[in-house]
Amino acid sequence: YKKLLGRLRQENPLNPGGGEVAVSQDHATALQPGDRAMEFHSCYCSFTVIFVLSSGVADGVGGWRDYGVDPSQFSGTLMRTCERLVKEGRFVPSNPIGILTTSYCELLQNKVPLLGSSTACIVVLDRTSHRLHTANLGDSGFLVVRGGEVVHRSDEQQHYFNTPFQLSIAPPEAEGVVLSDSPDAADSTSFDVQLGDIILTATDGLFDNMPDYMILQELKKLKNSNYESIQQTARSIAEQAHELAYDPNYMSPFAQFACDNGLNVRGGKPDDITVLLSIVAEYTD
Amino acid sequence: MSPVFPMLTVLTMFYYICLRRRARTATRGEMMNSHRTIESNSRTSPLNAEVVQYAKEVVDFSSHYGNENSMSYTMWNLAGVPNVFPSSGDFTQTAVFRTYGTWWDQCPSASLPFRRTPPNFQSQDYVELTFEQQVYPTAVHVLETYHPGAVIRILACSANPYSPNPPAEVRWEILWSERPTKVNASQARQFKPCIKQINFPTNLIRLEVNSSLLDYYTELDAVVLHGVKDKPVLSHKTSLIDMNDIEDDAYEEKDGCRMDSLNKKFSSAVLGEGPNNGYFDKLPYELIQLILNHLTLPDLCRLAQTCKLLSQHCCDPLQYIHLNLQPYWAKLDDTSLEFLQSRCTLVQWLNLSWTGNRGFISVAGFSRFLKVCGSELVRLELSCSHFLNETCLEVISEMCPNLQALNLSSCDKLPPQAFNHIAKLCSLKRLVLYRTKVEQTALLSILNFCSELQHLSLGSCVMIEDYDVIASMIGAKCKKLRTLDLWRCKNITENGIAELASGCPLLEELDLGWCPTLQSSTGCFTRLARQLPNLQKLFLTANRSVCDTDIDELACNCTRLQQLDILGTRMVSPASLRKLLESCKDLSLLDVSFCSQIDNRAVLELNASFPKVFIKKSFTQ
Repeated sequence: YKKLLGRLRQENPLNPGGGEVAVSQDHATALQPGDRAMEFHSCYCSFTVIFVLSSGVADGVGGWRDYGVDPSQFSGTLMRTCERLVKEGRFVPSNPIGILTTSYCELLQNKVPLLGSSTACIVVLDRTSHRLHTANLGDSGFLVVRGGEVVHRSDEQQHYFNTPFQLSIAPPEAEGVVLSDSPDAADSTSFDVQLGDIILTATDGLFDNMPDYMILQELKKLKNSNYESIQQTARSIAEQAHELAYDPNYMSPFAQFACDNGLNVRGGKPDDITVLLSIVAEYTD
Repeated sequence: MSPVFPMLTVLTMFYYICLRRRARTATRGEMMNSHRTIESNSRTSPLNAEVVQYAKEVVDFSSHYGNENSMSYTMWNLAGVPNVFPSSGDFTQTAVFRTYGTWWDQCPSASLPFRRTPPNFQSQDYVELTFEQQVYPTAVHVLETYHPGAVIRILACSANPYSPNPPAEVRWEILWSERPTKVNASQARQFKPCIKQINFPTNLIRLEVNSSLLDYYTELDAVVLHGVKDKPVLSHKTSLIDMNDIEDDAYEEKDGCRMDSLNKKFSSAVLGEGPNNGYFDKLPYELIQLILNHLTLPDLCRLAQTCKLLSQHCCDPLQYIHLNLQPYWAKLDDTSLEFLQSRCTLVQWLNLSWTGNRGFISVAGFSRFLKVCGSELVRLELSCSHFLNETCLEVISEMCPNLQALNLSSCDKLPPQAFNHIAKLCSLKRLVLYRTKVEQTALLSILNFCSELQHLSLGSCVMIEDYDVIASMIGAKCKKLRTLDLWRCKNITENGIAELASGCPLLEELDLGWCPTLQSSTGCFTRLARQLPNLQKLFLTANRSVCDTDIDELACNCTRLQQLDILGTRMVSPASLRKLLESCKDLSLLDVSFCSQIDNRAVLELNASFPKVFIKKSFTQ
């Protein structure tokens, strides 16, 4: 599994020492995207420019492996394209769906015949307005935690059980048969953030195995907003979720939901787990 | 000695002098460059620190491969830091021009070259970049990541595009220039030509490219400008620009002396033979005209200043039937046009591509010129002529009733209403609207009235709403159509293809590259193959649905096929390609890049059996 976590001090040459609220986010990876590509399919991107910080996760749909398609190719290219868009300023901070739409269109402009599908969750912090803009398509998602409680979260978008909304490019012969949602179908929200807010973005591998209270418990252990603590916390969340995923007796949120839908299952849900963690901190030099 | 010999000798000597003047300039130029190269290694003092910049913005270019508003294979990728270098390969994050090699000169839509094009002008495409700070350039590096070797000229401009005040004077200076040479590797390289020193600071650089020797599309990642902020100290040796002027005068004087002494010699030998031109008066008019045909335009203008007889010859409108002003884009302005006006009353082919930008040519100047010169005009090239506005198009439509060819390629600043005037040009046989903002109504009107159209390019015309409607109109009205460029025509479907195939049976060339809404399962490609037996060029680039059946139909029906591009399909096998190659004996270009079933081994095998065919297989890593 891949782990990401967060804290980056961003020098802001336009406002040095100004008490502007800034999100700090570093990221470090245990694995590089592309390692053992056929086995892992969830990917991340994170990029900071002066005025915004954006990050995203994309969870590739693993079923493509059965058709000889590497499921990480689509999600990885999608996230790298989002990163490139942000880096080159081709986006509007308050319109994260626009980032998704443009990124998806760019995938179609690639000479390489990309195939595959994935969910996507994009989170953009606008430092000047202190607002967080989000776009979520599918069952990845984000949580915003303030004072030990979840104050904002994304909604899962599912067509039916275990079939999330997804962006996809299908082979021509399978068009109409393969599920393909438009980027416009993404849910978009915007809200203010405060100092100390924790933003957690993750693929369903986390949320299906770890209920909110466990996540909150881990986040409580976050004492200060320095790089090492955040990294430590993100790692421990991901590791815990990973352990729970392989526990056959544990009543995971996934199992709970299945039972509610008439399926008698128990245990965790083995899956790729990608976790991005950020804290809204005071900007300092 | 018979009287013939002195005459020929005079003529030869005269011609020789003219040529030598030209040759001397060239030699001087070369010497200049190498001289400056040596000098340029020693001048940056420690106090005059070097500034290194990547391009800030791409402000103008003549073509690109990618979609407007995209960041894949588009010219805007040339700005900023490199994304790919030092990797080699076909990557989306690079800047790619629309064409390569000589393929576009070999297909039915190719147009003939202009007479009197100077041999040292070989530029096919250009891109202009700005940088943050103006510097005196010491080096310009181009990071090429795929099939390097296209850059043949680098120029610097004295105007600062970011200055709020319009520049007093806009000057372009060639920093480096060379004829196209073959580069053997297709690997990435950092191109570092030796540039000459100039005496003005610049933050606007222009690259001109020629891709004719390349095996595939060249791709550029970034341009680096090295320079110094303060004017570098030039020793007396390095101020060669000034020295040149001095030399120029000296040579001119010398020439003058030579001319005078020549004249004296021969006029004394030819006493009483007629007026002052000696044996020139005995030469038939047409013969002198024929000789003058070989001079370039600037030489023709210089020659006109020598004597009355030659002035008469050089100003004869018969010398200006073809007028190619594109090579002189950097200097051509309203004054030049006015100067040439009186000679251009019979002009039939006029090339003003790339000219007039940054205020060099005004609408009024162009209009005046056309009013004098438009009546016989048959071919008008106005590619990248950004001075054009609606009035200019109106003037063209009124003053050029005989116009048969109009090229407005990449005139992306022309407002949509300007295109309404083109419908008045009923004799049009060739119309290029690549990358313009022409809208549907204007285009339908053009198609309705210009029934003589044989060559039509609508590549990357993004303002057209429904290409099926356009195709329908073409099928109904343009019965003589031979070539059609619908590159990146975003929403054409099998319905439009059906109308084209049935309405334009004479079609020899059809570019449907990057048209995503065409599905092979509708039978549209089969229909094309069966109804267009004259097809010589067919591009189905990045149509992911092209399959073996389509290739088989082409093999059966389109045996005259010469160029085929099926980049990026997963559904074509080597076996069907083999059948195609066996059936289409004239096939010379086959692009199977990113076709998953066609691996390198398959390409080698096909190449072994069909050695005359260029089978292209691009790659990313």
